[in-house]
Amino acid sequence: MTPMADAVPLLRIAGLSAYYGELRAIYDIALDIREGDILAIIGANGAGKSTLLKSIVGLMNRGEAAHIRGRVEFRGRRLDTLETEAIVDAGVTLVPEGRRLFPRMTVEDNLRAGAFLPRLRPTADRRLAEIFGLFPKLRERRRQVVSEMSGGEQQMVAIGRALMSSPSLILFDELSLGLAPAVVDDIYRKVREIHAKGVTCVIIEQDMRRALAVANRVCVMLEGAIVLEGAPAELTEDAITAAYFGSER
Amino acid sequence: MNEDLYWMFIDVANGLLSGSMLGGYYAVIAIGLALNFGVMRLVNLAHGDWLILAAYLAVAFLSMANVSPFWTLLLVVPVMYVIGYVIQRVMLNRVSVQAAERRGMSASFGLMSPLLVTFGMSIVIGQGLLAVFDSNAMAIRNELSFDAIRLGEDLTVSTLRLIFFGIALLMLALVQFFLHGTHMGRAIRAASDDPEIAALMGMNANKVYAVASGISLATAGVAGVMIGMSRSFQPFDGPTFLLIAFGVVILGGLGSMVGALVGGLILGIVQVLAGTYFGPSAQLVAGYILILFVLAVRPQGLFSR
Ligand SMILES: Nc1ncnc2c1ncn2[C@@H]1O[C@H](COP(=O)(O)OP(=O)(O)OP(=O)(O)O)[C@@H](O)[C@H]1O
Ligand SMILES: [Mg+2]
Repeated sequence: MTPMADAVPLLRIAGLSAYYGELRAIYDIALDIREGDILAIIGANGAGKSTLLKSIVGLMNRGEAAHIRGRVEFRGRRLDTLETEAIVDAGVTLVPEGRRLFPRMTVEDNLRAGAFLPRLRPTADRRLAEIFGLFPKLRERRRQVVSEMSGGEQQMVAIGRALMSSPSLILFDELSLGLAPAVVDDIYRKVREIHAKGVTCVIIEQDMRRALAVANRVCVMLEGAIVLEGAPAELTEDAITAAYFGSER
Repeated sequence: MNEDLYWMFIDVANGLLSGSMLGGYYAVIAIGLALNFGVMRLVNLAHGDWLILAAYLAVAFLSMANVSPFWTLLLVVPVMYVIGYVIQRVMLNRVSVQAAERRGMSASFGLMSPLLVTFGMSIVIGQGLLAVFDSNAMAIRNELSFDAIRLGEDLTVSTLRLIFFGIALLMLALVQFFLHGTHMGRAIRAASDDPEIAALMGMNANKVYAVASGISLATAGVAGVMIGMSRSFQPFDGPTFLLIAFGVVILGGLGSMVGALVGGLILGIVQVLAGTYFGPSAQLVAGYILILFVLAVRPQGLFSR
């Protein structure tokens, strides 16, 4: 990585709060994500992890009920004032919690839906082939309706669908939730491959050991705030556990 | 061959044949309603009135240009598309189920406001047509009205109905291809499943819904011209056709164009057979009895899973 890339983070979050109506789900978040990072976010249920990722991609900005305050900058450009469509066009995307595939569509239609933006259409076939290269199983199943597939296969479709927008930053919410350990291993190998192609990754992971193994940076959220952040080598498991549960326990 | 048996066979064959032809026409009447509901969960109570408006548009066009009624489609269909697009963008998107959900209201509450709005729209369209065209019955004159094609000794089919049936198959195939084979069609299906995730795919759900409504009214344009060519119509005839469209959708189930065709065929065939055996007044009644029966036994529609 060049020093320049180090100097300007890919994504800079400052003073970010997000609200569901009156409820403030995250508050005053400051976080820099550098190009090439794999950042793992861990935290208890309800800590605000999903809300943080949804805020980045504009999904907390869509209705009167939910809204955000603060700044999100991607390559120096404000994202917090943009619609989700424009944020995805800029190169940031989310693999949502629970996968949220289009259940009645086939694998291929789900993937192609990810290349809807006019800029992406001319190269959609090429990227589809790349994704089939990454997940050969999906090529065999391309005509299958996704609601008939296993959780692991569905997660592959969700990841592939996000990759169809050729993002430079991809946010994974609960990558391994509800999947068998062997499947999780496989998914994480794929994430490493994706990262090796130059995509910066943020991963919400419930399993602390896995988070520490895959990430070059970890942050712990508690009750809507980031309470601990650092490289895995700098952090002890005790420190993380303390942060995860709150210091008084 | 036994004479009675022969005539029984001919009756049934004629019933099936002209019932099918009628069914294709019914399917076209219903496509727009099915698309609106399948995609946006919008129950468009003004659907029938849009059909009648399209028929009047064709009449107005023909009063300016003396051409075959089929040419009116070139004007009526694009005009109806634009009307559908604009109405959805400036009005229906604001009161839609999806808008209600974004505001944190329940979907069942959200279903209410579009019902009221489209009901109001229905009244406005009817009154508007009355003001512009007065209440005299109109029809789109055409030379095919009384033509028939002989398929056998005692088996005939109306030329106009046959053409309509062909148009119906073509339209259903086009809409089906559009929904499944194009970027916009995929977007329409995606936005109907999950608007939030559609946004993550770079789709602007409101624009996508507007396109869907545009297409829905464009099909209503074709249906309106067909209605005008097959019978006379008046400003407040909309609800009659809304009822037919509901019947088709209830019988065939939602979402697929195949469902619209199947629903149309069932309704058409049952009506014609009932008319054959129990007289003309039984025709309408049989249709409604069938619909009520299906609603009682399989409220989700005959063919939906
Ligand atoms: N749609 C919503 N409406 C209202 N409150 C919400 C909504 N979604 C989340 N919240 C609240 O916001 C807070 C943060 O939720 P969030 O989903 O971000 O947590 P999380 O860390 O992702 O939890 P989990 O591990 O369970 O996924 C919680 O208190 C939650 O109850
Ligand atoms: Mg979550």
